[in-house]
Amino acid sequence: MKEAKTARTEIKTVSWNRRTFFEMLAAVVAGGVAIATPLVAGVVTFLSPLLKKNTSPKVRVALLSQIPDDGMPRSFPIVADHVDAWTKYPEQRIGSVYLVRNKGEAEPIALTAKCPHAGCFIGYKPGDDLFRCPCHTSAFKLDGSRERGDAEVAPRGMDRLPVELRSVASADDNEAVEVWIEFIDFQTGHKEAIRTA
Amino acid sequence: MSSHLRSLVDWLDDRTGVRSLLHEALYERVPGGARWRYVWGSTLVIAFVAQMITGTFLWMAYSPSTQTAWESVFYIQYEMPGGWLLRGLHHYMAHAMVVLLAIHFAQVVWDGAYRAPRELNFVIGVALMLVVFGLSLTGYLLPWDQKGYWATSVGTNLASQAPIVGPEVKKLAIGGVDYGHHTLTRFLALHAGVLPGLLIALLVPHIALFRRHGLHATEPLKGPDAMFWPDQLLKDSVAALGVLAAVLALTIYSGEAELTAPADPATPYNAARPEWYFLFLFQFLKWFPGELEVWGAFVIPGAVVTLLFLMPWIGRSRGGHLFNVGLLVVLLGGIILLTAQAIRDDYFATWYERTEANSDKYDASQAFLDAKQEAEHEAERVIALAQSPEKIPPTGALTLMAEDPFLQGPKLFTQHCAGCHTHEVDGRHKFDIEFDPKEFSRTAQNFGLNLVEIISPKPTAPNLWGVGDKLWMQSFMSPQLITDRNHFGYENSPFAQGEMVSFIQEAHGEELSEEERKAVDEAFASISIALWLDAGTTRLVHPDGLKELEEQATRGRELIAGGLAEVLESGMSCIDCHKYHDEGELGSAPDLTGYMSREWMIEFIRNPASERFYGEYNDRMPAFAPHDDPRMNQLDDKAIGLIVDWLRGDWVMPETVEAPLSD
Ligand code: FES
Repeated sequence: MKEAKTARTEIKTVSWNRRTFFEMLAAVVAGGVAIATPLVAGVVTFLSPLLKKNTSPKVRVALLSQIPDDGMPRSFPIVADHVDAWTKYPEQRIGSVYLVRNKGEAEPIALTAKCPHAGCFIGYKPGDDLFRCPCHTSAFKLDGSRERGDAEVAPRGMDRLPVELRSVASADDNEAVEVWIEFIDFQTGHKEAIRTA
Repeated sequence: MSSHLRSLVDWLDDRTGVRSLLHEALYERVPGGARWRYVWGSTLVIAFVAQMITGTFLWMAYSPSTQTAWESVFYIQYEMPGGWLLRGLHHYMAHAMVVLLAIHFAQVVWDGAYRAPRELNFVIGVALMLVVFGLSLTGYLLPWDQKGYWATSVGTNLASQAPIVGPEVKKLAIGGVDYGHHTLTRFLALHAGVLPGLLIALLVPHIALFRRHGLHATEPLKGPDAMFWPDQLLKDSVAALGVLAAVLALTIYSGEAELTAPADPATPYNAARPEWYFLFLFQFLKWFPGELEVWGAFVIPGAVVTLLFLMPWIGRSRGGHLFNVGLLVVLLGGIILLTAQAIRDDYFATWYERTEANSDKYDASQAFLDAKQEAEHEAERVIALAQSPEKIPPTGALTLMAEDPFLQGPKLFTQHCAGCHTHEVDGRHKFDIEFDPKEFSRTAQNFGLNLVEIISPKPTAPNLWGVGDKLWMQSFMSPQLITDRNHFGYENSPFAQGEMVSFIQEAHGEELSEEERKAVDEAFASISIALWLDAGTTRLVHPDGLKELEEQATRGRELIAGGLAEVLESGMSCIDCHKYHDEGELGSAPDLTGYMSREWMIEFIRNPASERFYGEYNDRMPAFAPHDDPRMNQLDDKAIGLIVDWLRGDWVMPETVEAPLSD
């Protein structure tokens, strides 16, 4: 009984010749392909988000008449169509901006509510003279610059978004001025405002 | 053992070698006898097994997509029998694992149990610890509630700041450029598949190596050697039972694992915090301004983890071991300190008075506390709605919230109305009951009683609390109340000396005889009832009571339509100024037809200066939607409808309850 066992585990050496080399190569290749193919298919799908690009929609946010030139920030939702994988949400709130129009200015400035530090939602209480981020206590002046400069956790001021005024005339002969902004998403955590790709 | 059983076991053993396996597993020598201090590793294994069990069953009821994740967790928690227990166990066992892990790790380092030949096993242990943290991070997002969503969003944004590959890592983690379906599918795959698989793959060699090297006994040995089975195993099992008891107690004591409102990318959650055992990291980041962030988020934590991996080699000398122990103490101490600091920062306002010096700290803390309470209030409401017979629509629970006047009304009112109007519980209505805020919101949503106060410091328009209800109508017929600040007596009101006021005051003139006064009072009482019933803000009234009121209202309607002239000395009545159904003309005062009904109020807000309402007498109120073309309007009909429904107390009530005020 014991002898039989030893015999079985005895290592047989392979005599090297061309035929065995090809045999081994074929074994490795065939096995490798059998495993790698599903793996590659999976990895490609897994990596597919890298190909996705961010779009920066132009959005109508308000009527100019809603933003008096008193230098006070007013918060407006960004409403745009939003596609999430297989679902399309029409007219979805996708973010928020603060519009501030200073005395005598024709055009408001637009500040995105996304904190340049790590993306929390910057808050503003009417009457306050600062924007405040609830997460790591960054504070910004009403023009978006950092209250304490480089001592602030946020690496840069609040991001400004391009504003465009458009007048519209309705069928009933009224005219109104609309405020449009380009809703750009910026990377957090850098000194410069870099668009997310 | 019966001979049948024995032969069965023999058969099995012959084919699998199960006896020697079992023997191997159970008859391990424990040098110096079984001790309580050896239980920590085993409790971790058992805790992990418990997580696998509860996790698997949770998985069977969970659905990862943005429209179903919160919804399915809600269903587990509130509708499935025992679901709250299952989820509570999983939730708190995760907390327990972190604590056990800390104990196990501290003990190993303290005892120097990483020394040769156990280096490799220590390294595996540190890797296991990281896997457990990964499980915790990924699990936090899965309910897709505000808390998890915002915490994860901060976490992944931080990851995107990693040098070079950061943005790509973030995209891969969240499965796209935005958080969405694929964030959930990926996190679930990590949480329920990849990470547990990795954990098992590491745990098997961890335990195997532990067995190979034997238990690292701590000197001095307390007694003679013992066997793992049953001595140590008994202690291990008892300890595991203790852990389970603690977890159960937490589950039951806390009521349930928290589920905040469904994640909404457009609604900030100002109370976003990571799970308590990551609070120290969160606090640590506050120390690194601007671009120094990389140090706080990557360099230092990376260096610490590297040091942990190197501990067995550092600890080869006596000095090295002391260094390791020192590092351990500093780390644990630092973590405790930072955690305490984070909690103190957040709850500052509950423990300290506000002073000049601490105002920033105080306000930040107050904002956090308010946000937390607001979030609880929202969660409670949306859960109540989801439990109502209407259930959750296919578009998900977020729709429930967006279309709910109870939740949206205060926000819209604050944004568009509170500049001029206040919404204050009128002094005469102050309830005798002291509400604690939680009770307060519950009462409000259950009874359709609008108790939310939005106070404008210097109102320049009427107080809109209880608009259109019985008291509102009565106040406008009362010579005293009509001129108070809640009605026509607000600051700079042109109506304070207007015709309505003098009409009402004259009608109640002093020279009336007892009998005449009675008739006048009665007439106005009937008119208010008529207006009130037509406005339809009577949901709190018992149907029987309503039937009785209907009689009085019929009389009131006749009075409005001209009958009042016969009661009053002046011979005037409502329709001299107002239009009421077919009587009277538009142009000098608002239409009384359906006064303060839903339709009336919506039209009023659209354009108060139209002929149907105040016309040229309109006092400063903007027209929010005067145009047919919606692009020209400030507010859309949906928003106006939500404001009106909220003011009128018209919202879905979660349960049928007896009305509290039924007069
Ligand atoms: S996210 Fe705003 S301060 Fe950190």
